[in-house]
Amino acid sequence: MLSRLVFLAGSLKSSGPIGAGLVQASRSLQTSSQSLAPVPPLPEYGGKVRHGLIPEELFQLLYPKTGVTGPYMLGTGLLVYLLSKEIYIINHETIAAITIGTIIVYGVKKFGPSVAAFADKLNEDKMAKAQEAKDVAMSSLTQAIENEKKEQWRVEGRAMLFDAKRNNVAMLLETNYRERLHMVTNEVKRRLDYQIALQHLNRRMQQEHMINWVEKNVIGSITPQQEKESIAKCIADLKVLAKTTQAKAAA
Amino acid sequence: MTLSLFNQFLSPSLMWTPLAAIALALPWALFPRQTARWVNNRLLSLQSWFLGQFTQQIFLPINNPGHKWALLLASLMLFLITLNTTGLLPYTFTPTTQLSMNMGFAIPLWLATVILGLWTQPTQALGHLLPEGTPTPLIPVLIIIETISLFIRPIALGVRLTANLTAGHLLIQLISSATSVLLSILPAVATFTITLLFLLTLLEVAVAMIQAYVFVLLLSLYLQENV
Repeated sequence: MLSRLVFLAGSLKSSGPIGAGLVQASRSLQTSSQSLAPVPPLPEYGGKVRHGLIPEELFQLLYPKTGVTGPYMLGTGLLVYLLSKEIYIINHETIAAITIGTIIVYGVKKFGPSVAAFADKLNEDKMAKAQEAKDVAMSSLTQAIENEKKEQWRVEGRAMLFDAKRNNVAMLLETNYRERLHMVTNEVKRRLDYQIALQHLNRRMQQEHMINWVEKNVIGSITPQQEKESIAKCIADLKVLAKTTQAKAAA
Repeated sequence: MTLSLFNQFLSPSLMWTPLAAIALALPWALFPRQTARWVNNRLLSLQSWFLGQFTQQIFLPINNPGHKWALLLASLMLFLITLNTTGLLPYTFTPTTQLSMNMGFAIPLWLATVILGLWTQPTQALGHLLPEGTPTPLIPVLIIIETISLFIRPIALGVRLTANLTAGHLLIQLISSATSVLLSILPAVATFTITLLFLLTLLEVAVAMIQAYVFVLLLSLYLQENV
């Protein structure tokens, strides 16, 4: 912390109190945008302190002359001096100071790390949110790039797609043509079959008609006299036949 | 050896310059200002977080017009809590032990809530003087009681804070005086009193924070009624 004071003092424009005052007076406080950006980076951690109170710079300052125990001797000596000369008197406030001091030290030692972790977590969450937004944006952009590449690859295969489609269409047309051809053949065959059937029918009817006419004529031409004669002849033949078969059977 | 136990509450002055002004300016010096940075150090992050949480909690039940009081109440809370807790350190002066200062906080703020209520919604503000569902014969008595209760509020606010802190400081001083005297006479009893002092100081830390919170909470309640 003391080193930061030195740093600030060194950054003042000119030496001497009046010079510094002139510089500060001429520059109105933080009105121009120059004071906003770029903001110089802050130190990440505070100045080192020993025993929670005394900055490390004091120990470094006294180390060359008095070694490691120097500042402690200084502290003890100062305390003893104040007490012995009764510059500081031990009274009821001292006891109250001891009590509140114990409570403060205990509180800091016990809850200090968790409170610090909580404060760090607040900042970490803030940064994590921003980081996440950035990551999401980046991942969505890479995804978009990949999608674009895939589309480009797809375009290359477009010719094959068209060929396949063309083949498809050609096959459909061919199939359609064949079907129609088949249909035509069938229709023609049907008509021809009809004609043939018609001719067959005609011929059969002619034949039947002729047979019927012939039969009718023949039956009509058989007079009753002829019928008796034929029947008598048939009986005579039958008798002769019967005699022959009897003779054959007896022989 | 103190002349009077109440000497600790005298407003300190160094050659007629009131040092109470420095005591009152201490909380301002303890809390860093908001920076233009996005990520701050631990103290500033914790401070912003605490103020954000506190303001959200207090103003959750209050309507939107009342949110104009956010800055006032949040800064009042921070001020009081810092004054109270730094007053527990030895050799410090606690301005909130002075009734004048606490009344100086309580009366104007309470009066502001009352005037706000009577100005913007007079019927409703006056309607608060009679709770709902009171039996008819009790109405006149209850109105008088509620009016008295209304006017007692600022006094109660101021005196509550003063009395709590003064009593606490007084007790601490008494018990630590007893301990310091007993250390030379009866050290065994002194250990007992120092334990008592230890517990009392713990209580005082709690009381310091709670009293500041209660002050601001009651003001927010008065605001909620009237806005």
